[in-house]
Amino acid sequence: MPHSAQSIIDLSDQLRRDLGGGFRDRMVTAVYEHAQELVSRSVHETGAKKWDFDQRIDRLLTSRWLGLPLMLLLLGLVFWVTIQAANVPSQMLANAFFAFESAAAGMFESLGAPWWLTGLVWHGVFRGLAWVVSVMLPPMAVFFPAFTILEDLGYLPRVAFNLDWLFRKAGAHGKQALTMAMGFGCNAAGITSTRIIDSPRERLIAILTNNFVPCNGRFPTLIMLAVIFVAAAFPPALASIIAASAVVTVVLLGIGFTLLVSWALSRTVLAGEASAFTLELPPYRRPSVLRILYTSLIDRTIFVLGRAMLTAAPAGAVIWILANVQAGGQSLAAHAIELLGPTGEAIGLDGVILLAYIIAIPANEIVVPTMLMCYLGASMMMDVAAYDQIQAVLVDQHGWTMLTAVNLMLFSLLHNPCATTILTIWKETRSVKWTALGGLMPLAIAFAVCFLSAQAGRLLL
Amino acid sequence: MITVGLLLGLALGAVALAAPRFGLVSLWWKFRANRERARSEDALKHILAWQHRSKLASLESLAGALRLSAPATLRLATRMEQSGWVRSKSEGIALTRSGEQRALQVVRAHRLWERHLSDDANMPMARLHQAAENAEHTLTRDEVERLDAHLGHPQHDPHGDPIPGADGRLASIDAVSLTEWPVGKPALIAHIEDEPDPVFQQVLAAGLRPAQVIQVLETGPERLVVSVEGSECRIDPAVAANVQVSVASAADLPPPDAVRLSNLPQGACGEVVELGPACVGFSRRRLLDLGLTPGARVEVALETAFGDPRAFRIRGTTVALRGQQAEQIWVRPLAEPSATEVGS
Amino acid sequence: MIAPDCGACPEHAQLASMGVDIGHCDHIVALAGNPNTGKSSVFNALTGLRQHVGNWTGKTVTRAEGAFAFGGKRFKLVDLPGTYSLLSASQDEEISRNFLLFGQPDCTVVVTDATALERNLNLVLQVLEVTDHAVVCVNLMDEAARKGLDVDVRSLSRDLGVPVVPTVARRKQGMRDLVSTVADVVSGETKTAPLRVEPPSKVSEAIGNLVPLIEDLAPGVPNARWIALRLLDGDHRVREALLSGELAEMASRQRQPAISRPSRLTAISGNL
Repeated sequence: MPHSAQSIIDLSDQLRRDLGGGFRDRMVTAVYEHAQELVSRSVHETGAKKWDFDQRIDRLLTSRWLGLPLMLLLLGLVFWVTIQAANVPSQMLANAFFAFESAAAGMFESLGAPWWLTGLVWHGVFRGLAWVVSVMLPPMAVFFPAFTILEDLGYLPRVAFNLDWLFRKAGAHGKQALTMAMGFGCNAAGITSTRIIDSPRERLIAILTNNFVPCNGRFPTLIMLAVIFVAAAFPPALASIIAASAVVTVVLLGIGFTLLVSWALSRTVLAGEASAFTLELPPYRRPSVLRILYTSLIDRTIFVLGRAMLTAAPAGAVIWILANVQAGGQSLAAHAIELLGPTGEAIGLDGVILLAYIIAIPANEIVVPTMLMCYLGASMMMDVAAYDQIQAVLVDQHGWTMLTAVNLMLFSLLHNPCATTILTIWKETRSVKWTALGGLMPLAIAFAVCFLSAQAGRLLL
Repeated sequence: MITVGLLLGLALGAVALAAPRFGLVSLWWKFRANRERARSEDALKHILAWQHRSKLASLESLAGALRLSAPATLRLATRMEQSGWVRSKSEGIALTRSGEQRALQVVRAHRLWERHLSDDANMPMARLHQAAENAEHTLTRDEVERLDAHLGHPQHDPHGDPIPGADGRLASIDAVSLTEWPVGKPALIAHIEDEPDPVFQQVLAAGLRPAQVIQVLETGPERLVVSVEGSECRIDPAVAANVQVSVASAADLPPPDAVRLSNLPQGACGEVVELGPACVGFSRRRLLDLGLTPGARVEVALETAFGDPRAFRIRGTTVALRGQQAEQIWVRPLAEPSATEVGS
Repeated sequence: MIAPDCGACPEHAQLASMGVDIGHCDHIVALAGNPNTGKSSVFNALTGLRQHVGNWTGKTVTRAEGAFAFGGKRFKLVDLPGTYSLLSASQDEEISRNFLLFGQPDCTVVVTDATALERNLNLVLQVLEVTDHAVVCVNLMDEAARKGLDVDVRSLSRDLGVPVVPTVARRKQGMRDLVSTVADVVSGETKTAPLRVEPPSKVSEAIGNLVPLIEDLAPGVPNARWIALRLLDGDHRVREALLSGELAEMASRQRQPAISRPSRLTAISGNL
């Protein structure tokens, strides 16, 4: 039997040579000609054609002068809604959690539990969880549905269309903009979505740079800093708009870094020019409410929050232990902060922030909670919930300046991806080399940029 | 305590040395075997190249090409003779039949890999050769065949050189140097020599690419003037000597009364005539699958702030294409807008 | 050959090895279609929350599968990647093609966009080359009406030779119809005679040379013509399947399991 199979193969090779080139062209053309005929027989225009919304809207959303401004406006709107709607529920959640924490801790003590158990369980694990839920849940519950509406409408391919020219100049693919949009939710999801890019080179670029889009775990940090430091200087009526603009600026900076790094990669380790780009712009569809709620709340919010809580619980315990185990007259946390201090100072931050980032490697969401828990230390008398209380702690007690805030925003935007994202890079590339590059390159860039910004800031101020 | 540490260290060391797949010994053997394969394949290619120039390679030329010492070259040649790939003659080294087949397979792997890097990764022409030089020795026969099928059985590599078939047959190219081409007659660029590199870079800088149709406007000992894609460029004859051209057939010429889709203004309609010959590989297949076959109707629908890409209405869908792809699509402009677009 | 759990049947041995869990189902249905046709809406409307999402074995391509029941039978629905074609230009297309050819689903549903039928029929016609058991789902009928397009599904069905079902999957319209049509095709109650596009004459000749040889090697193969086309195009996977005897074995499975498999195989190949 294999003999006869081989003879068929040989014959087909012979026939292929005889047919000459363009075989595929002729076949596809024949199929399409047939399809055209079938359609002419079975599809009729009824003439009852209504206003063609799609084309009108498309001409507006991708127009020469309005396309890009409208895109920024939509992005700003999503952030503004998130900031506006999330602040109050965040405080309410925090108040409720911390009232519960002191009550529960008090009960533990009255039952005669040892001090370390009460501390570990309530002031460590529970506090970590409470922080993550109150800081993250409200913004996510607003941001994800708003974003899913844009996705469901079919707007995202238009973003890729509008921005493709920039990506082409950077040697990358326009669909990278789509994967970045997914990265707003979660960088790991963004990296998985790079599968839509066919060219392996451009897909790798998209994977390695996805981290420069601030994911939902980093938004609370950015929003908090924008509200406390940037918007505080403006009248309250404008505050939320200013805060949203500040976040948009950071996002734009992230897009700038994405393009810059893509460009650099295209000229070094991933040499090549931009390849073919074919992107279908599907018609706009009316979003279905149920589907949006399901996708954004179940698939995204619960998933991301669940992951954050899984890492927050042990992190809370670690912080509590670091803050309460003494060695050589001071706590372990104090030792670590002392050790990291000079490095932190050099890049315009401090030891506590760096320690928070190290503890938060499993998930970026817990950076702010970790930072605050370290600042408050073992005293933990204060239930910090509202932004003005956080401001009091940071500025009055720990000497934060505008420069600290700006550098922290930069560091938060650029630093290494979280452990889940790194694992996803490995799963998608199956290469230690690319995974290492994907982890270390952003870290190096973050340190370099923050160092420069700190030096520049100190010179000017 | 120290003894335990020492023993543990020794044990770890032994494992690192002797582990079956990633141990140092096995890695060393693998490295040796790969180097041996690369050297003998490079030697085969060298001898084949000389044979194509009707010359026989010698031990000296081999040593020079592979940058090996004389004794190492002799050892290599001996081993290759034992494998039955080469025969030493009095005037030099000749390939046996199996040696020639083997050499052609290496050339095939090299040129297919260049094609792959160019089509799939859009690697710049200037970097293809070196990258393929490393890859050609690592590909298995099966991988080469898969690559061939994946690329749609290309006939030529990105430089225009013919790719040997799986059965080792090599199409000959019937081309002459651009310097010898008569003025006025359309010429098809059949091959661009990629060595030496500075000359190759000058050819690329002049905008010349394989499969292009050009015309010599003026020739002389000092300079050559050619028209490329509607624009004139001047090249040094020494550079032009590295460009091989052949007679352009009707199929190579752009279709009459057709324009590039990229030149169609916003809102205009056209009928696809053909996809240009430079549009190859995955990109060509994708355009065909999207319905850009001859006879299809296209309308320029949207343009971005930067003017590129643009979106086209094709068979009831809207598809965005970059200028460099729209350039490859030849269309015949149509006067009236398509029926389905009335009212918008 | 009648087993309560079809995972044991030889027809589905291939499916199991392709990473599809076929425990507790009677039939396998594949869902193919262009991107942006609302294919996932159809998938969700058919399976509800009974879904499982993973990767295709060894590939970074998402695979979703789900289940639905109809007429006392359980169907497993495998969502293939959205593709424009089956010519294996990309990983997605290769996966879809391999599943249709080697996974031999009992029925294939091709989801199409009623507003862009011409483009969608390209894939439909290619699927019909591979398999006889197909149902075309013309989705987004509401969008087509909004655009003033009237799709005559009867005439389309007559031309294509397979059932055509109009749906609005987002609002779950036409889903019951789709399910019962699929069940009828699976049970053989609805006979299909899929349209096969006549290739250009020179290609036709070449195909004419190859088809008898392929049918000789793999009697009962339902798509010898398509296999000939793929060989002419130099499709590596199809070549391999022919050389390894995989195609012949597949054809013998598909013919009928009435005669026991080993005897059928020895009758065909003699040397297996």
